[in-house]
Amino acid sequence: MAVSEQGLLERNKETMTLNMGPQHPSTHGVFRVILEMDGELVNTSEPEIGYLHTGIEKTSEAKRYSHVIPMTDRLDYLNPPGNNLAFCLTTEKLLEIDIPKRAQYIRVMMCELARIGSHLLWLGTHALDIGAMTVFLYAWREREMILDLNELISGVRMMTSFIRVGGVAQDAQPEWLKGVRDFVDYLPDKVDEYERLLTNNPIWMDRTQGVGVISREEAINYSLSGPCLRASGANWDFRKKRPYSSYEEFRFDIPVYRNGDVFDRYKVRIDEIRQSREIIVQALKNLPEGPYKAEDSKVSLPPRETLKTSMEALIHHFKLSAEGFKVPRGEAYVPVEGPRGEVGFYIVSDGSVIPYRVKLRAPSYMAIPGMCKMMEGCFIADVVAVIGSVDIVMGEVDR
Amino acid sequence: MTNQDLIEKIQSALGDQIQKTELSLGDAVVFLEPKNLPQVAQTLKEDADLAFDYLSDIRGVDYLEWDRDPRFEAVYELHSIDHNHSVRLRVGIDEDEASVPTISHLWKAAPYPERELYDMFGIHIEGLENLKRIIMPEDWDGHPLRKDYPLITEEVAFSFNRDFKKELVKDKPETRENIWL
Repeated sequence: MAVSEQGLLERNKETMTLNMGPQHPSTHGVFRVILEMDGELVNTSEPEIGYLHTGIEKTSEAKRYSHVIPMTDRLDYLNPPGNNLAFCLTTEKLLEIDIPKRAQYIRVMMCELARIGSHLLWLGTHALDIGAMTVFLYAWREREMILDLNELISGVRMMTSFIRVGGVAQDAQPEWLKGVRDFVDYLPDKVDEYERLLTNNPIWMDRTQGVGVISREEAINYSLSGPCLRASGANWDFRKKRPYSSYEEFRFDIPVYRNGDVFDRYKVRIDEIRQSREIIVQALKNLPEGPYKAEDSKVSLPPRETLKTSMEALIHHFKLSAEGFKVPRGEAYVPVEGPRGEVGFYIVSDGSVIPYRVKLRAPSYMAIPGMCKMMEGCFIADVVAVIGSVDIVMGEVDR
Repeated sequence: MTNQDLIEKIQSALGDQIQKTELSLGDAVVFLEPKNLPQVAQTLKEDADLAFDYLSDIRGVDYLEWDRDPRFEAVYELHSIDHNHSVRLRVGIDEDEASVPTISHLWKAAPYPERELYDMFGIHIEGLENLKRIIMPEDWDGHPLRKDYPLITEEVAFSFNRDFKKELVKDKPETRENIWL
């Protein structure tokens, strides 16, 4: 600092470069950002990604369609059913097969449970980043129940791989349905509890309101999606706009807020937890009877009992297990709404049992430039709040 | 507006700048040459009836094994938030001097997927500042998602029983040819 002729302190124009990450706890994974600081304020930010690159897209080009599904779990590891669904819907579009209603409803329930789980994990860690410790413990307590439900239906707590091409892996058992029913009865009080801790809390409001603002036009131009886009005032949700997997049969609202700051992104996600619960309640009530996977034996395995009596079923079983199913030549893309926004796989098929090219449209990856835009002009302490509010998952950023 | 109407509208608005249009499994698809991309994208974005204001994604595809010309393709997916329709632009790119103009002046989201296109396929992006690798390390050789880049197992590092694990590493690259189809 230098003293000017008027005797005022003149700010030095020099900036400071500050490295954040890749092992910073608030970046939720291995994300590095190089901040150019003017005192306490962020001038520009240069993100650095790729630390978690595992080459899943390249590996997919050497695996059969059914073998790609477990890898999609590992992309956005907080939303495995949503990724499975996006991959399966695209493959099913290429195959042009119909999925039974019961399977569609089970898929919807799995995806909405995952959405609640993902938002709960986000809420806990985001609040922890800003300094509210208790919410973290409460939110993870409820998320644990969702993981238990996952274990009950699929045997796995996180990477369920439960949604398969043609339907789901198994029928929904009565115990699981009872568990889901208990969970949706239990949840609303708990969401109120989080809101009592945060929504009107003056510290929370100070830390989040007016921080990391992005306008509707900019949010669209930066290709933000999901809660970030809806917090800026754009009513854009694929569950309503392009209903897939029977979403048109459910009544639910899309929460939209206008300010586009960290607080509104929090409100959108809290409201989405409530709406997802509504969808699960309706799915439980109207769950149709019938098969849980397509009866097309060229794609899904024939029922176990028929193997002992039907020669044809045995042949199909052998062919499917040993060879896989052939997908007609062509390319397709089906977007679905994940907890972080538009997820979709662009699949190019050359007519064989292995996809020729698989490309994930990852909402977190596309959100990073927008996130850096939000950081500009923020205080250094708010950078953590902005990164948390966008909810990036490095698994799908680096793929 | 159905996708058929959408295609007819695009055809009438951009007739001479696009190669052909088709309805692929119900999706509107437009084929065009790289040199026309900025103009086509601008018209699609600014025309009031089309208003494709949202860039969903840019993907590269390498059609080396397909006996198809040109070898590369960059695929742009655009949505319209107001009208709720989508279009897919398929831009064929030649193998020698593989290059495509940038659309980052229209969408600020474009540089990231464009840099990925360069990183993974080695397609040069004309007019993009700061064109460098994004996912792979900067000193990496080759462009991994090209079809002539082999899929091999990485050598084991950081392991206390490295000698044992080395035996597990396959020398033979796993390609589409040696997987039993």
